[in-house]
Amino acid sequence: MTLSLSPQDAWQPLPAGEWNADAARHLLRRAGWTAQPAEVQRATQEGLAATLARLFPPQPPLLPEPAMIQRNEVERMDLGPRYMQASPEEKRVLGRQERERSQAAYLDMSVRWLQFAAQPDNSAFQKWVLFLSDVYVVGFEKVHRAPLIYRHFDLLARNALGSAPALGKAVSHSPAMVLYLDLAENKREAPNENFARELFELFLLGEGNYTEKDIKEAARAFTGYRLRPGGEFVFAPRQHDMGVKTVFGQTGYFTGDDVIDLAYGLPAAGIWLPRKMTRFYLSDTPLPGAYLAALGGPWRASGYDLGWLTRSFFGSRLFFAPEFRGNFIKSPVQFYLALLQDLDLDGVPLPRYVVNPMRQMGQVLFDPPNVRGWVGGRNWINSGSLAARRTLVESVFRPINPESLTADELVEIRAAGAAGRDHFTVTDATLEPIAGLDPAAAVQSLTSDFLPIPPGPAFQDSLQGFIAAGHPNPQENLRRVRRALITILESPDYQLC
Amino acid sequence: MASNNPTPFLPTTRREFLSLTGRGIGLLAFSRFAPSFLVKAASAAVPSPEKDRTILVLVQLAGGNDGLNTVVPFSDGNYRRLRPTIGIPDDHVLRISDTLGLHPSCTAMQGLFHDGKLGIVQNVGYPNPNHSHFRSTEIWETASASGDFLSTGWIGRYMDNACAGRPGADSHDPLAVHINTLNGEPETFIGQREHPTFGLLAGGGGRRESEETRKLLETIASETGAPNSEEGFLQHTLMDALVTEGKVQNILGAYRPAAAYPANPFAASLKNIAALIAGGMPTRVYFVSLNGFDTHVNQADTHANRLKTLSEGLAAFQHDLEAHKLDGQVMTMTFSEFGRRPSENESKGTDHGTAAPLFVMGSRVKGGLHGTPPALNLPKNQDVTYSTDFRSVYATMLENWLESPSEPVLNGKFATLPLVV
Repeated sequence: MTLSLSPQDAWQPLPAGEWNADAARHLLRRAGWTAQPAEVQRATQEGLAATLARLFPPQPPLLPEPAMIQRNEVERMDLGPRYMQASPEEKRVLGRQERERSQAAYLDMSVRWLQFAAQPDNSAFQKWVLFLSDVYVVGFEKVHRAPLIYRHFDLLARNALGSAPALGKAVSHSPAMVLYLDLAENKREAPNENFARELFELFLLGEGNYTEKDIKEAARAFTGYRLRPGGEFVFAPRQHDMGVKTVFGQTGYFTGDDVIDLAYGLPAAGIWLPRKMTRFYLSDTPLPGAYLAALGGPWRASGYDLGWLTRSFFGSRLFFAPEFRGNFIKSPVQFYLALLQDLDLDGVPLPRYVVNPMRQMGQVLFDPPNVRGWVGGRNWINSGSLAARRTLVESVFRPINPESLTADELVEIRAAGAAGRDHFTVTDATLEPIAGLDPAAAVQSLTSDFLPIPPGPAFQDSLQGFIAAGHPNPQENLRRVRRALITILESPDYQLC
Repeated sequence: MASNNPTPFLPTTRREFLSLTGRGIGLLAFSRFAPSFLVKAASAAVPSPEKDRTILVLVQLAGGNDGLNTVVPFSDGNYRRLRPTIGIPDDHVLRISDTLGLHPSCTAMQGLFHDGKLGIVQNVGYPNPNHSHFRSTEIWETASASGDFLSTGWIGRYMDNACAGRPGADSHDPLAVHINTLNGEPETFIGQREHPTFGLLAGGGGRRESEETRKLLETIASETGAPNSEEGFLQHTLMDALVTEGKVQNILGAYRPAAAYPANPFAASLKNIAALIAGGMPTRVYFVSLNGFDTHVNQADTHANRLKTLSEGLAAFQHDLEAHKLDGQVMTMTFSEFGRRPSENESKGTDHGTAAPLFVMGSRVKGGLHGTPPALNLPKNQDVTYSTDFRSVYATMLENWLESPSEPVLNGKFATLPLVV
């Protein structure tokens, strides 16, 4: 990729004269999920700085703790004493019940997070939290305890726009992380290196910026981290290795928090998160080191202020450069949420209608494949995942068949209806205004509303011919407009943002 | 940090892949992370089926398999010293020699061993071992030296080499397909990381409407996006997927396995590979991944479970191939990014280590033990030193199985092992 700006110019603020509807669409698609016309208009009028202040607010709305998570925590506390007295057979049953409850709470949380993130006012910030969770990875499959996964996300959200070292320390105390990377198994007399290694390699610095010795010494500093039975983090001083450690050439009686500060003392720490951001938000192609250093230096000087980083990154000339427009592949989460927002739909509040498609598209929420997180970009796409995206599109044009639902699911659907959040399916009313247009105008309207780049002439022509073949029969015309829209949403260009 | 490409040993451009598959040297992957050859080129140009071609199936044991508890040196006092709590007791191991035994989960593999269809290459590794999952995986996949960073993989280079100077064919046929089996049961959600699923496209309005969409999409997929652009990449993938969908579905749907496969995603992947081989696909290399081997804590149950999955899946696959008389054509080989530390940690688990044994399976494998076992007279927390370079195993597969010179692929000369009969 040829970059149109020098490293020195790349992170300068976008000049006011270059802020327009196209730029707003780009910002909304990349920082959030998609560019709904009303949101584009609002952002264009507000200006870039005000829009960024709104997308990344000082007091962002947080996902309320789902009732099933609360219940699961209480149930787990109650389980403790009963479990102690149970026979082996009863223990197996209790254990299985607890796993099932945790699993159900986890699925419910997945649905709720998606619904929360689908609200336009939450989109950019929740995507930022998703990004942070793709750096500071924990996975449900290993942690198993849904409430701890919720707390990890809550902790990321609460620290998402503060100082990065504070976030890093909070992450190291996150109960889910303690379980995920075996911190509780890290003992004074027998250090477990898992956390220290991933902290340096994947969370803070990147390979090549530390030695095996640094890992071994750092692991000693992270001893004494424990969880109470209820899952709260606790520091056990008697389990902590009080000895002298040498990390990054510095020697002292370091604690885990000290080690995180030491890591942030290295210039590599300034480059690591911006590097991850470019990969998550901009392009599969890594930015050359000079560009990362040009952002990393000032970020470091800001005291590693994450709010500063979002404003500088999303407000930069580089972010809006032509080489980054309309050419990045949506993640499955973004594909799903953009589809809901573009079609003005509510998400179906049933895990199997949401979590299964996500899995088939290759992204299971709260459960990245490993500690490195999702690879993303072109790796999202293969013939299987593309088929899953197409299946999802088809599904939102089909009404839900109530007979296929379980009793519990019917209750959920009725509750959504009572709350006025049951617009799950694209209806004829959505399509009729487009069907009223002549074929050329209908294609123009459909493609400009939904695609980030104009489609090629052959596709436009064939769509136009396809719609025209339905005239003048109104029913057939409407059917063909619907099919044309489905095809557009299944097309390669709709996978891009 | 590893590159973004999860499996860098695969070809990286569609043209590269087309020219390769044109010669009947395709790849097929079954893993959560489709290797990039799939991502880059699901289209395959297919020559007339060449049923006598040898086929290599690569089985990745992701996470770093604990070799010492897989092929257990049960009579070695050092093993008992290093593994005081998680060591496999003498009377539990499945003996394969006077000094070695398989993990008790591996009864099916013990049977293969006794039938001479399973070879074990002991203590495979490389100099200056790296303990990072990602870097060490990359080293195995690119067949690089520890300090070198290669952008191509060993299978990719094999294909380069095999196809140099030959014209590529150009048709759409199901060669490189990521097959996803739709599993409609939400209860199975827990822990099912690898879903070897084939995404059947459920058309919204029945067959006619699916056909309409397919025709329209074909017009856009045949448009040419800018070379190397994301749009062009998506168009190619879509076109390939459209053509592939029906064909692979037919092959898998019609397949009647002649062995009972266990009900797990790994075995399902192997069954699908058997189906595609039996269906006459000209694919030369298949890739399937089994994960969960990163056993830092309380490893006994996890590891036993993983090995059982591996052992039973491999045996079912071998028996199925035999019943279909395809076994003479197929060689299966496992690999893992590293073994684990000989001394157990305080969490009844093991940390990242270095060399480990790997398995080769097939009717034309020279069964039994190959290479030498690791020396275990080690102080606590020291790693074993490898005795067979993994590139020697690759050289053997290239020279003696895929019938390709190994030196240009491996960028050096590595001795071959007597693994192929």
